[in-house]
Amino acid sequence: MIGYILTIQQKDKIQGQEYAPFQIFNCVQDINYIWFTFLTDDDKKSIIGTDYEWLLSCPQEEYIPKPSPPFPSNN
Amino acid sequence: MGRFDLRTRTGQISTIIQGQQANFTDTDAQAFFDRVTAAGGTLSDTEKNAVNILTLALKSAGIWTLMKAIYPMVGASAAACAQNLKSSSFTGTFTSGWTYSSNGVTPNGTSAYMNTGLNPVAQSLTSGDSHLSYYARTSATTSDPAEIANFSDSSNAFVLQSKTGVTNRYFYSVGFAASRVVSTAPTGLLNGSAIANTRRDLYVNGVSVANNITTDTATLGNYSLFIGGANLSGTTSGSFTNSQCAFASIGNGLTSSQASDLYSNVQAFQTSLSRNV
Repeated sequence: MIGYILTIQQKDKIQGQEYAPFQIFNCVQDINYIWFTFLTDDDKKSIIGTDYEWLLSCPQEEYIPKPSPPFPSNN
Repeated sequence: MGRFDLRTRTGQISTIIQGQQANFTDTDAQAFFDRVTAAGGTLSDTEKNAVNILTLALKSAGIWTLMKAIYPMVGASAAACAQNLKSSSFTGTFTSGWTYSSNGVTPNGTSAYMNTGLNPVAQSLTSGDSHLSYYARTSATTSDPAEIANFSDSSNAFVLQSKTGVTNRYFYSVGFAASRVVSTAPTGLLNGSAIANTRRDLYVNGVSVANNITTDTATLGNYSLFIGGANLSGTTSGSFTNSQCAFASIGNGLTSSQASDLYSNVQAFQTSLSRNV
């Protein structure tokens, strides 16, 4: 999946911030501990014209998640 | 509970009223519509009628009072889908990464979840009396999808997972999960429930597909439940699903009969919205 790459400062600026009613940003780290955020078309419509529109100009790259699932297996 | 008997006036009327136009609006359904409107969302007449019928059916089946939160996922917006049908509490908050449509809400499977604000411990839900349900319109394809979950450690959790590795499961303690092997993540109404800590069941479309009868006295994760992923110890999120959600509920335990009724009612609701699977 393609996501927007964020610096730590950019991540700190948006993480958990409300960009529309009932909607907040969430950022995740990839396998290399690079911060990403993902915006659907619905999200993009919501942030156009807001203080967060700059996100749409951030570089985009393929996201590779960290490999280990947090839940242990029971089988 | 059987079909309503006109002579004895006993039984469930949902099989009669489902699929029809109710001639009055339930007060709880109306309150939900009002909350959606106040939040800036809109519902079609078809959606309102479907929610009204669902509310009446859940009450008729004796399931309504067991619910802490019901998310019908109607209205094709965050404002509408965040609303809890059961009460004005536990209004959800969506993260970025969701797509909203008349078929429900679809998380991206990478970072998206909805925080329900519902802490099961604070709501007195226990490993002997609780349930989770999620209507999956599509099969999850992520590596470790949790549809509704919080997770602290192996014995402090509350998790409904369509498929991790090859396992479809419901658990409070990982070692005592009601689980089964699947090749693909199931669709339809996924439901985990316990009415005693001596047994928990995993239901798919109202039928128990797995159970575990080892006594589990685990304390549930003491954090807000997430839909579309897991709340990990109240500090981060993970185990994201990409399964489209068209209904979710959290509440007290359901008997096998109530689990069957819940499925019947939810499936009729989805059918009336032309989004059943």
